[in-house]
Amino acid sequence: MGKRGELSSGAVDAPPRLSVSPLAGRSGVRMAGEVGLSTLPAWRQALEQVVREDEDVYLELSSVTFVDVAGAGALADAAGRLTEGRRLVLHRPPAALRRVLEMLWPDLTEIEVCA
Amino acid sequence: MSAATAPPSGTTPPAGPFVHPALFYRDEDEYLAGTVPFVRAGLAAGEPVAVAVPGKRLALLRDALGTEADRVRLLDMREAGRNPGRIIPGVLRAFADPQEPGRRVRIIGEPVWAGRSATEYPACAQHEALINAAFEGRAATILCPYDARDLAAYVLADARATHPTVIAAGDSEARHSDSYDPFGVVARYNEPLPPAPGALALPVVAASLSTARHTATAEAARLGLTGVRLDDFALVVAELATNSVVHGGGSGTLRVWAEDGHVVCEVSDAGRLDDPLAGRRPAARAQRGGRGLLLVNLVCDLVRTHTAPHGTTVRGWFAA
Repeated sequence: MGKRGELSSGAVDAPPRLSVSPLAGRSGVRMAGEVGLSTLPAWRQALEQVVREDEDVYLELSSVTFVDVAGAGALADAAGRLTEGRRLVLHRPPAALRRVLEMLWPDLTEIEVCA
Repeated sequence: MSAATAPPSGTTPPAGPFVHPALFYRDEDEYLAGTVPFVRAGLAAGEPVAVAVPGKRLALLRDALGTEADRVRLLDMREAGRNPGRIIPGVLRAFADPQEPGRRVRIIGEPVWAGRSATEYPACAQHEALINAAFEGRAATILCPYDARDLAAYVLADARATHPTVIAAGDSEARHSDSYDPFGVVARYNEPLPPAPGALALPVVAASLSTARHTATAEAARLGLTGVRLDDFALVVAELATNSVVHGGGSGTLRVWAEDGHVVCEVSDAGRLDDPLAGRRPAARAQRGGRGLLLVNLVCDLVRTHTAPHGTTVRGWFAA
């Protein structure tokens, strides 16, 4: 879209999407898409719902392509609301999400990552 | 500090909780004479001690300390502190904050060396000035060595303005600096950034954040970033652009270009950055939000900002 040295104009901006669907047979959800300013409310709402379950929570994230710092923060908030001993298990999150959590929430023990 | 002198060796209790002398040295002997007793006094007092200095100096100090070096956290400042904006949260407070509350910590931090580029230097001077605010009221002693033989005169003059006390070359005592003016240094190096000819420029509004990030990241890949560095670049672009949309008047301009072996991104907007410590405070676990600029500082090789009443520009460099 952009040209050298000048602002691009008339670009078609497809809105980023985030889809949320229940996981069969276990507590948690599968998310797909990307997490940024416009999809943060949907991401946060989905996380708030799943951490209410009374067991470990699984998030299948293999089709999530990007999570910004606020999205990682929503995950940290959700993990903080888990009752004692329960975990939030991330299945195949984007590598950058794991890195952001390690850098900015190094003390978070309730989140477990499986590749 | 009100005291005229503040010996760094710990033989006299410091007048204020935070002690921050600059140590001017001209050669290896003066370097060791100024640093080794400082480390030993800390270890003898049971204080946690860290040394973050350029690799060659680190090796020199490690050899001089012998087995005592095992009790000191040693970091190569050329890596840990490559981006000066990372040093407070990622090196100094990262070492000091987890220690037992109330226990004095002792750190040698050398963020300025003769090889620092003219592009990096303003960020170095601002960092040195902001240490005072970041550690105000804390029981910490941070000694900052300056190579008085190889560094330019203006760099040494800045060190006198960013440190409340200075140990002159060949001296053993810290003396009050008459030119101490840390916020003056922060303001003086709040310089407009040179324009980037030929940069890819993308308008950023809420609806175009995702597209702009994808386009900018594709450009960074084309310019040579790969793997984790490319992931970091995408995160930085997202944080800076989102900040412009949320705090910077609703829109901004994102630019990407290559410069001296780096891929550079920049976001300009109509907002104003009033908090000089933004992105330099380590985040407390309970704290929500406020980590975007911290991430930018932690992953970039250099961050420069210019803020004025009419707008703010934040620029991040990634070694390609």
